Amino acid sequence: MTARAPAAAEAVAVELANASRWYGNVVAVNDISFRLSGGVTGLLGPNGAGKSTILHMVAGFLAPSSGNVTVGGSPSWRQPEMYRRIGLVPEREAVYPFLTGREFAAANARLQGMAPSAAAEAAARAIGLVELEDAADRPIGTYSKGMRQRAKVAAALVHDPPILLLDEPFNGMDPRQRLHMMDLLRGMAAQGRTILFSSHILEEVERLAERVLVIVAGRLAASGDFREIRRLMTDRPHTFTLRSSDDRALASALMAVPTIAGAALDGGLLTVRSTDFGAFSRAVSGIARRHAISLHELLPTDESLESVFSYLVRR
Amino acid sequence: MNAVIASITLRQLLSRRRTLLLLLLGGVMVLVAVIFRLAGEQARAIHFTAGLLSNLGIGTLMPLVALLFGTGAIGAEIEDGTAVFLLAKPISRRTIVLTKLAVAAGCSAALTCGPMLLAGLIAAGGLGDGLVIALVGAAVIGSVLYCAVFVALSLITGRALIFGLAYVLIWEGLLAGLFAGTRTFSIRQVTLAFAHAMGNIPKETVDVPVDLTTALVVGAVVLVGATLLAIRRLGAFEISGETA
Repeated sequence: MTARAPAAAEAVAVELANASRWYGNVVAVNDISFRLSGGVTGLLGPNGAGKSTILHMVAGFLAPSSGNVTVGGSPSWRQPEMYRRIGLVPEREAVYPFLTGREFAAANARLQGMAPSAAAEAAARAIGLVELEDAADRPIGTYSKGMRQRAKVAAALVHDPPILLLDEPFNGMDPRQRLHMMDLLRGMAAQGRTILFSSHILEEVERLAERVLVIVAGRLAASGDFREIRRLMTDRPHTFTLRSSDDRALASALMAVPTIAGAALDGGLLTVRSTDFGAFSRAVSGIARRHAISLHELLPTDESLESVFSYLVRR
Repeated sequence: MNAVIASITLRQLLSRRRTLLLLLLGGVMVLVAVIFRLAGEQARAIHFTAGLLSNLGIGTLMPLVALLFGTGAIGAEIEDGTAVFLLAKPISRRTIVLTKLAVAAGCSAALTCGPMLLAGLIAAGGLGDGLVIALVGAAVIGSVLYCAVFVALSLITGRALIFGLAYVLIWEGLLAGLFAGTRTFSIRQVTLAFAHAMGNIPKETVDVPVDLTTALVVGAVVLVGATLLAIRRLGAFEISGETA
């Protein structure tokens, strides 16, 4: 892959301006605006949040119901020429099972308009980038899920596009392949490419993305620097359920702690809300010991990604 | 035409199982011709060959082969998601549709006309005074027309195979036999009209329900209309995303 000029990083590569998309009465994406230039951006959100719809709109496979979606300044919808600038890794697994990995990458290069010899070279380079050389001459039908995923990435890279769109790209990859793919994407972003990938896994986004767009229920819940969003996620009030030898005494002891926002006894279960996850986790056992209360169970109740995202939406 | 799309489509359509199944269907017609030949009824050869090629060839084999290839050319890729790899390329939708249609029509014509020609040559003991060539030639045109319709159908509905089968069995097989007016919109009848125009086919064995001018007009309208519709549908093709 060739290094790109720094100027390429400054230009707006992808822009959504008040873009919405609905199917009948169901709103999939609701009034979303953002601009992307060089670097890695993670599209984070629970399953069904609207991430794929956004990626499909950017990739020109869905027309926005309202608003605008542009790539390189031109509307993405019905613009086949745009695909010279885009590499797309779709979420669906299916790849032509009768083609080998090398044939698949070369076919994608030919479809980008390359001559057969140039396509073969580009395919070999892309296959090398995703470390698929050993299986390159086997039919894709014999590949594991992770290998198919890498074949799709190789096909998206053959024409060295300045914009890469990846829908759940790490699905099926083992940890080593995942790390390698992250390094590859990071390196490409450092060369000025614009990379937008979707994931519902916080850790993937945390490790790769410089910027994050958090999508919840079709809305842009948060966007910006990942560390800032991570802090918001960590500092939100947390709810725990506890079982102990004396729930009532434990509740009144915990209410004296400044970071406890509330406690309730309901059906023999003590529920406590804390504004500081770490401080509560560290303090609770000491408090129980000081009051001679045996702690039987302590469970955080709202650690699912959905609850984290819901909190961000409510803010 | 795009050579890469053509090559991928060809490999996709000519999967071992599908090709074997269609060859078996064609083989049945050849087998019937062999049995007739062995029975030694030479006096009825022309009538028998005309009936065999028009009923089993044009009436059954041609629509079924075209249905499988026509609906499979693009429809199968849309269904399994591989269409994205073709559509996310700087290639016009017209080129994609025309290439897919050409490959599907070529495969259909080959797997329809090959067995028809062989069966015709065996049953008639030769070209049958131009009868075999006329029916096989008309089947080439019929295969193209059917494929145009079925390719378009696969871009309109995800149940193209069912609707296509319903058209062949109910509209062409049942209604066209009951109501003369419906025959104008039957590709099978249009194909038989072309066959009559191309060669000397006994009218008492193979009916002539549509005149040549009507067949030419209907054929042109079906081919151009279905192709334009397919290009339009693929141009507006959307991948449905998830809903919140």
